[in-house]
Amino acid sequence: MTSQDASQRAKFTIPKTAYGLIAILVLLVVASVTTPSFARVDNIFVVIRAASLTGIVAIGMSYITISGNLFALSASALGALLAVLFALLTAAFGFAAGLVLTLGLAVFCGLAQSLAISLIGNPIITTLAFGTVFRGLAALFSGNSILRIESEAALWLGTARPLGIPTQSWAFIIAALLSWFVIRHFKIGREIVLCGANPKAAVASGLRVGLVTAIACAALSIGVAIMAIMTVSQFSQAKADLFMGYDFDYIAAVLVGGIALRGGKGTPLQAALGAVLIALLQNFMLLHGLSAGVRMTIVGLLVIASISLFHILQGRGR
Amino acid sequence: MTSETKSNLARLGLMIAVYLILAARIPSYYSQPGIAALLDSAVLAGIIAIGVGLTMIAGEMDLSVGSMAAFAGILSIQLFPYGMVPALVIVVLFCGLLGALQGYCIYKLNISSMVFTIGTLIALRGLTLVVSNEKTVLIPFENIAETDFLSAKFFVFSIPSATLLVLVLLVDFFSRRTLWGREIFAIGGGRGEARAAGVSIRRPIIVAFSISAALAGLAGALLSFRTGSASPLGFEAVLLEAVTACLIGGIALAGGRGSILGVLIGLFTIRFLVSGIAALGAPFWMQSLATGALLIFVIIAEAAIGYVTRRRRMARALTA
Repeated sequence: MTSQDASQRAKFTIPKTAYGLIAILVLLVVASVTTPSFARVDNIFVVIRAASLTGIVAIGMSYITISGNLFALSASALGALLAVLFALLTAAFGFAAGLVLTLGLAVFCGLAQSLAISLIGNPIITTLAFGTVFRGLAALFSGNSILRIESEAALWLGTARPLGIPTQSWAFIIAALLSWFVIRHFKIGREIVLCGANPKAAVASGLRVGLVTAIACAALSIGVAIMAIMTVSQFSQAKADLFMGYDFDYIAAVLVGGIALRGGKGTPLQAALGAVLIALLQNFMLLHGLSAGVRMTIVGLLVIASISLFHILQGRGR
Repeated sequence: MTSETKSNLARLGLMIAVYLILAARIPSYYSQPGIAALLDSAVLAGIIAIGVGLTMIAGEMDLSVGSMAAFAGILSIQLFPYGMVPALVIVVLFCGLLGALQGYCIYKLNISSMVFTIGTLIALRGLTLVVSNEKTVLIPFENIAETDFLSAKFFVFSIPSATLLVLVLLVDFFSRRTLWGREIFAIGGGRGEARAAGVSIRRPIIVAFSISAALAGLAGALLSFRTGSASPLGFEAVLLEAVTACLIGGIALAGGRGSILGVLIGLFTIRFLVSGIAALGAPFWMQSLATGALLIFVIIAEAAIGYVTRRRRMARALTA
C-alpha cells in the first residue's frame, strides 16, 4: 500500500464505520421513543441474540467478500446440515465429540466449496449448487423429522448468560475481534485483502490465491457451524428447514456494513455492525406489526440502496 | 469438426444417455402421455432458462428471475378478471419494463449484475408478498374451467410446451442473426474489444435483462394460469434449474459462448434426470439435490476439461 492509498483509505473507512454506528444509534433512539415495547429488557435480549448469530455468520461472509469472491449463497443450507449433523453426533457420541466433529465437518464443507470455486471461478453459482446439495443432505440425514437432543452442556451453551450477557453475544464479540485481528495483523489476513484488491496482481506476485479462498470459505463455514450449534443448543432440537431464507440477512449485513463488493477493502467489524443494524431494523419492524412481505421489501431496498451508494462513493467500476 | 460442434455433440450424447438409462427402467418415458408430461414439466424452467441464458451470454447473470416469476404469477391471477390475454400481455410488458430498468441500473452503475440482482431478488419477493397479502391467490372457482385449454394436448404438445419450443427458436434466431443479438454475444465475449469496436454496452445489457425479465414473467403467468393459483413464495428453486440448463447446454460462465438451442439440450438433460428420479419414487427434496449435484458435476468437469486442453495446447505450442 502506498501512502496515497493509505490516506485514501483513511478518508473512506473511518466515516464508513462511523456511518454504521450513527445509523445504529439513530435507529435505537427512534425505536425506543416510538415503540414502548422495544426498550424492555426481554426484547433487548431477543435483539442481542438475533444480532449475535446473524453477526457471526456475517463476519464469516465478510471474509469471502473481502477476498474478492462476492458471496456464498449456501450459508443457510450449510447451517441446516450442520445443525442436523450436530444433533445426530451429540445424540450418538456426546456433546463434546459432537462439537468437535461438527466443526471439523464444517471446515471440510468449506474446503470442498473453495476447491470448486477455485476451479470454476464463479462463487455465486458454485455456492447456489452446493446450497441445494447441503439442504438435500440435511433432509436425507434427518429423515425430514425433528431431531431432539438432551444435554446439560448444550443447554448451558444455548441459554446461559455469563456476566449477564448471552453466550451467543460473547461468541459474537470474540469472533468480531478475532477476525478483525486476523485480517489486520496476520500474514494470511493481509493476503486475503490483497487477493481481493487485485486478483491478477496477487497471482503474479506469488500470493497463495487458492489458500486464501480456502481460508475464506473455512471462516464462513466455522461461523455457520457456531450459529448452528448455538441454535440447536438453545432449542434442543434440529430440523432440515432451519434458517430457510436467512442468506439474505447475512448478505444484507455485509452490504449495509459497506464492505466493498469488489473485494480488498473493509474489515469484519463493518459486517458485525451491519448485522446489528439489520437485526435492530428487523425487530423494530416486527414490533410495529409490519408483515413479512413489507419487511422483506424494506431489507431488499436497503440492500439495493447501500450497494449503489457505496459503489458510487468508491467511484470504481467493477 | 470444430471443437464447438464436438462439445455440442458430447452434450447431445449426455442427454440421450440419461434418457436411455432412465427409459430402460421407466416405461412411461416412451409412451405418448409420458413424453407430453416431460415436455410440460420443462416449460417453467425452460422459458426462464432462455432469458437467463441470454444474460449469461452477455457476460452477466440475472438471479432475480424466480422472484420475477412469482411476482408475475400473482399479478396475472389478480388481473384475470380483465381477461386472460390482456392480463398476460400487461404482465409480460410490465416485467419486461422492470427488467429494462434493472438492466439500465446495472449499466449506469457499472455494478456486478449478480450482486445487483440479489438485491432485486429480495425486494421483488417482498413486493410479491405485499401485493398478494401473503396469501395464495386463486382464480374464481366459476372461471376455473376457462384455463383448461392450457392443459389440453395436441399429439404430445400442449400450448405452454409449444410456446417454449417456439420461443427457443425465436430467441435463437434473434441472438444469432440480428444486430441486437450479435451485440449481446459481442459484449459477453470481450467487453473491452467490443467497446473499442464501437458496440454500445448499454443496449445489449438492457435488451438482455428486459428479455430475461419478460420471459420470467411469461413463465410465471402461464404456469399460474394453468394451475389456477399463484403462491407468493413459489418459483424459488427455478433459478438453479435454469442456470444448470444453461451450463449443461454449453453457455460459458464467462459469457460470449453458447447458444439458446443448446439450452434446450441442457434443459431436457435435467428434466429426464429429475422426472426420472421422481418417477422412481424418491422424495421431493431428492430432486433439487440431484439438480445441485448435476450442476456441480458439470461445471467441475468442464473446468477440468478446459484445464487439460489448455495444457495440451500449450505443450504443443512449445514443442512445435
